[in-house]
Amino acid sequence: MNDRPELFRGNRIFLSCTYWAFVLYVFVPLFLMILMGFKDSKFIGFPIKSWTLDWYTGVFADAEVLSTFGYSVAIAVLSTLISVIVGTWIAVLLEGRKFLGRTAIFGMTVLPALVPGIISAIAFRIYARYLGIEPGMGAIVWAHAVHNVPFVVLVVMARLSTLPKSQIEAARDLGADPLVSFIRITLPYLVPAILGASIFCLLLSFDDFVRSFFLGGYEPTLPVLIFAKLRSGMSPEINAIATVALILTAAIGIWAERFTRRMNKES
Amino acid sequence: MTYDASSQRGKRAETLETSGRTFWGRLVEWGPYHTLMRLATASPRRQFLILAAFPILWVLTQHLGPMLQMLRVSLTDAYPVAPGVEQHFTLDNYARFFGDSIFWMPFFRTLAFAGVFTFCTLIITYPVAYFLARHVSRKNQMLFLLLLLIPFWVGEIVRTYAIMILLGNTGAVNMVLKWVGLIDRPIPFMYTSFSMGVGIVYLTALYMLLPLYSALEKLPQSMNEAAADLGAGAWTRFRRVSLPLTIEGISSGCTLVFLISTGFYATPVLLGGPSTTVFAETIAGFFHVAGDEWPTGAAFATIMFAAALVITATFQRVMNSLRKGERK
Repeated sequence: MNDRPELFRGNRIFLSCTYWAFVLYVFVPLFLMILMGFKDSKFIGFPIKSWTLDWYTGVFADAEVLSTFGYSVAIAVLSTLISVIVGTWIAVLLEGRKFLGRTAIFGMTVLPALVPGIISAIAFRIYARYLGIEPGMGAIVWAHAVHNVPFVVLVVMARLSTLPKSQIEAARDLGADPLVSFIRITLPYLVPAILGASIFCLLLSFDDFVRSFFLGGYEPTLPVLIFAKLRSGMSPEINAIATVALILTAAIGIWAERFTRRMNKES
Repeated sequence: MTYDASSQRGKRAETLETSGRTFWGRLVEWGPYHTLMRLATASPRRQFLILAAFPILWVLTQHLGPMLQMLRVSLTDAYPVAPGVEQHFTLDNYARFFGDSIFWMPFFRTLAFAGVFTFCTLIITYPVAYFLARHVSRKNQMLFLLLLLIPFWVGEIVRTYAIMILLGNTGAVNMVLKWVGLIDRPIPFMYTSFSMGVGIVYLTALYMLLPLYSALEKLPQSMNEAAADLGAGAWTRFRRVSLPLTIEGISSGCTLVFLISTGFYATPVLLGGPSTTVFAETIAGFFHVAGDEWPTGAAFATIMFAAALVITATFQRVMNSLRKGERK
């Protein structure tokens, strides 16, 4: 903080303007998109002369959209489960004692997070073919799981590094073997990190387009459905679908943020 | 051994002390489990192998495997292999890339776009990060940051669509300009490199903002004050103090944003036009139009990944030497 604000007042005004301009830049497009979902016309564009809720009632009556929602949620949950188990395991290995090749393993661990989207999708598509996984739900779950593992590893490793070693030692002195001390001491300590990482993976998977697009079968995930509808023309129906997805993801994100903060404060 | 008797630890120690009666205590003493555990932990080496086998196998087969398989397919003449056809090693797929401007034009365009968009993202988010880290009180910092995080939980497609509505011919920007009286006819923003840039900056800004924010947060305020006392103006303070000390944040933010923006597929398809075809679209074309051109697609994806890695590695090296130069 500034001890002598008079020195930097000019900057401060300029900088706060850029901040609020940036806030407008990130919020206005989404706000306009939500607004357009209430337009009483098939034609996207301003001005909006009359308003309606029909597009929303349409979304909740549309069996295809609803089943796509369910499909996307199922993929997100399954892939997150895999990512969290594998990611935690890798993190425990990497944060444990040093061993030859640890840096190489760490590099390979974060690789999927660094590969640009289209290349990652292509590589997964080829590898799924090689493994004999048919395009469809299994392939998407697998690709999302692999892609999200690095995020779990990084979050869990950060938390693990603050675990007091004395607790593990105490448990071992009292007769717990490595497995029991992991389940009773390490795992409870990791809960906030694991929950935070899970929410992040859920959102990443639910929002992912490029992997779902290249690994999907005939059934689209929600982003793929929106993309397909957009290619055949804009309509307020898409705004209604997108708004429902937006509210869902933003709500989960805000809730997770508050939740993990509270967990961190408690421990 | 030091023992910190905070409430949580005390509780845990208690349950373990009375382990003779708890589930876990009984488990540890249960014959078959006990034998198994003794076998598993007989030597530190064996214990390590049991812990390490699965993670190492996973990263080798699942993380590295897809990339290696892509590389292998890119060097063959047929994939997926039809029955009765023999697969041959070839470099033709790579040669094809250099043979036709329809292939390498989008490639260089993508790299140029990614570079320009990364620079724009840096310019736009630096003052924002600076404001957050230096001019907002600690108490409000999280709140101000959270406000910016919310839109980033919304998916790529939804945010791309939002930009389409913003910039369309009957979009908000054109409507406002018309209403103010600056234009009579709408400006065709959409399907140009401009609309694509707005979209990609919109999608990647956070990945720049967070590294910049954490770098700026560590910057000691006293440095700026000392510079000011020595008579440095705002611009000099920025150029000589803040900028050199946040090079690490700039370098990691730019690397992330560059890598991400070379990989966009849906956003250029939806926001770009025929004159802005990016390499992602070229690569994708080999996978869903013509079914038997996977090796070419794999080769192109490999070229793209290699180029992106070389560029970001060079960039990081330059930034590092800049940082060291400043320290001297």
